[in-house]
Amino acid sequence: MTSTTLANSSVFGWLIGYEAKRKKLLQKAPAGVLRDFLSVPLPDIDTPIDKVEILAVDFETTGLDAKQDKLLSVGFITLKKQQMSLKTSYHQIIKTKAQLEESNVIIHHITDSQKEQGQALSTVVETLLKALAGKVMLVHFARIEKQFLTEACLELYGMAPTFPMIDTLALAKRRLDKRDVAYDPSELRLTNLRRKFELPEHHAHNALNDAIATAELFMAQMSKANKNGETTLKDVLL
Amino acid sequence: MDTELSEISSFIHSIPPFDSLPKQVLAHLVRELSINYVRKDDSLPPKGINEPRLYILRKGAISCRSADGVLVSRLGEGDLCDAFYHSDASAFDNSQISIENQLNVQTDEDCLIYSVEASILHDISGRFPSIGDYFSQNSAQRLKTKMSQVNEEAILSSTLMNTSVSNFYHTPVASIDAKQTIQQAAIQMNEQGYSCLVVIDDNNPVGIVTDKDIRRRCVATGLATSEAISEIMTRDMCSIDVKSNAYDALMKMTAKHIHHLPVTKHDQLVGMVTVTDLINNEGHNAINLSSIIHKASTLSELKEISHFIPKLQIRLAKLGSSADHVGKSISAITMAFTKRLIEMAEYKYGQAPVPYAWLAAGSQARQEQLAHSDQDNAIIICNSMKPYDDAWFESLATFVCDGLAECGFIYCPGDIMATNPKWRQPQKMWHNYFTDWVETPSPKALLNSSVFFDLETIYGDVSLLNNVRKKLLIKTQNSTLFIAHLSKNALNLRPPLGFFRDFVLKQSGKHRATLDLKHNGIAPVVDLARIYALAEGISAVNTIERIQQAAGTPSLTKESADNLIDAYEFLGMLRVEHQAKELMRGESPDNYLSPKEISKLEREHLKDAFKVIKSLQDARQSSY
Repeated sequence: MTSTTLANSSVFGWLIGYEAKRKKLLQKAPAGVLRDFLSVPLPDIDTPIDKVEILAVDFETTGLDAKQDKLLSVGFITLKKQQMSLKTSYHQIIKTKAQLEESNVIIHHITDSQKEQGQALSTVVETLLKALAGKVMLVHFARIEKQFLTEACLELYGMAPTFPMIDTLALAKRRLDKRDVAYDPSELRLTNLRRKFELPEHHAHNALNDAIATAELFMAQMSKANKNGETTLKDVLL
Repeated sequence: MDTELSEISSFIHSIPPFDSLPKQVLAHLVRELSINYVRKDDSLPPKGINEPRLYILRKGAISCRSADGVLVSRLGEGDLCDAFYHSDASAFDNSQISIENQLNVQTDEDCLIYSVEASILHDISGRFPSIGDYFSQNSAQRLKTKMSQVNEEAILSSTLMNTSVSNFYHTPVASIDAKQTIQQAAIQMNEQGYSCLVVIDDNNPVGIVTDKDIRRRCVATGLATSEAISEIMTRDMCSIDVKSNAYDALMKMTAKHIHHLPVTKHDQLVGMVTVTDLINNEGHNAINLSSIIHKASTLSELKEISHFIPKLQIRLAKLGSSADHVGKSISAITMAFTKRLIEMAEYKYGQAPVPYAWLAAGSQARQEQLAHSDQDNAIIICNSMKPYDDAWFESLATFVCDGLAECGFIYCPGDIMATNPKWRQPQKMWHNYFTDWVETPSPKALLNSSVFFDLETIYGDVSLLNNVRKKLLIKTQNSTLFIAHLSKNALNLRPPLGFFRDFVLKQSGKHRATLDLKHNGIAPVVDLARIYALAEGISAVNTIERIQQAAGTPSLTKESADNLIDAYEFLGMLRVEHQAKELMRGESPDNYLSPKEISKLEREHLKDAFKVIKSLQDARQSSY
């Protein structure tokens, strides 16, 4: 737990350390899903971004607090050589014990009865980790996915792995901050950023749709920022 | 409630031909999609993709150019790009498809592009052939499929389909006893005005006899008219139940080549329906209107009647009539107006001093006129006319042209009217005109005079024009120079490339908000048909008839003729529908179709029609 917090606190630590950290964790990891995940090497931070294999991920949750709230659904899709194949996409609702609050159901449209037909958290996290091995995770607003996945791993395997992340919100924020002009934080919402890049409207708050929407946004961001193809993984890592 | 991938699904579902796929198959197709983001000024296919794929533009714009850099099409959101769909170009040796195979495809904006492997679509086509057809057929084939659907729908939506036989049949049935003679039957037919009698024996209908039977089975074979009628009747009488719809009755009669069909109710004979009864219903209004026009005795009555023309056009369009049918109906009405006005003028000014004929030119002559069109007319006068006779013809021309104008047929802006002395001449002058045009064809004169290559006699001595036409056609057939000039002139009107977003894409790459259906679609076909007719000595003036008669001549292959007719009918259909909408809104009809008015599929069909026309224009160009 302390090591995670420490790594979080230092961006520099993340940048230099994720491969070293993976190897260290691999030695401690119990046999099974987590060890399999940690045994796949991560791409070098100097890899051109176009060549990095990415998994765009989105979670729907019962709330914002990873300690109390629950994961409701997971969606992801692979982004490889600037192409997403919907065959690699995945969407699953999780069967949790928590009662759904009405205010939340309005957002994610997952009802109790659908949740009842969902799969166990362990199955879903296992599928996610298998797909994520060796790839960089792409999300919009990293805190949710990072904390909820960490909590889930702690609950399931007793330890949390490391996973390098790209955050489209952070990338957009970096650009806005550089301009040194005041801006409305709502500009950073996925829907608004997509609109700015003239991407089509999408059905928000479905985990898979949001994962695809995030990946499309990322490609659009890279199209603007990486005209010469010089951007490497370390330039965009969180 | 499957919300994931729902936008992608509904987006794909909105694009023909995928709109015809059932939900599960669509879901399968969506799962097989790939998403690419391609930067501006990059090219397709995206790097690293080599297998044949169909590309579907989700966002952005791309241009397709031929190997020599000529713009072929520009695609926007929702457009399909099949330039990389066919793996084996040689499998499609049709010229149109192999050209598409050599396209350079470039992005004009940042693009979000969906794509699917051709092999996946091939699998789906196995179960849904319409998907495969859409991509494997060329423009002409797709258009043919569309037009046969349109014709089928026209039949289905026609009133006959929705009307019962009971609305048409005559009752009681004219009948005759089986023991009566053939002569007595003929007398009865004459007296009652029937051409068909049911033969009754012991109160049972045992057969049917028509006036044709009397000709074929009695007079022609030398059978005595004193023989019993039962000798020549048709015994196995075919009938239809009163509850059937009129369309079935028509089909039954067409299939058996009969014109009369007894109608039964609970197997009892109750009436008779004829082919004429049914067909008249379809053209009902046009025929009615003509007879009312014929009875009108004053100009103000005619003017009153003329208000029905737009209504007739709307009605015909609503019935799903072909543009050909609409054009013929409206032209027939105009002809009735003109004739009635001439009769009134003759009554007013007395009989003509010498024989003459009133001619219609342009669309009316071709029987392709629509409501609110302008008048194009002329007079051809017998060579025996004396100079002072012209005063009578001038009075006639003024009366008729003014009358037509009163009835809504505006004066010809190019002054091609009988009131113009130039177009009111004796036969020998008309000979000279045509000789001049054919022997020294200046492009400008041709443009103005091409309207006179479509002439039809409306009233008067038919032989006057026919003689001129006969000599003219001999000349045109032998004058390659003239045909070359005419062809060159006709090629000034080119159909556009297609559509880009909600705009019309011109050959130059420029955009227009509307499509000029007349000048960029219909007129080019009319021009081509005229050239074929003049080159091959065909006297018909109606465009479809000209193309049909030119089919199989050196000017036009049978296949091209069919394709051109499909293209022409499709364009005509869009025009009739477009004008019906305007007429219903009380606007005056025009030919400017906004791409927003029509569906995505119709745009595709229009593009196909443009291609057919363009390929025949190109063929024309290269033959000189």
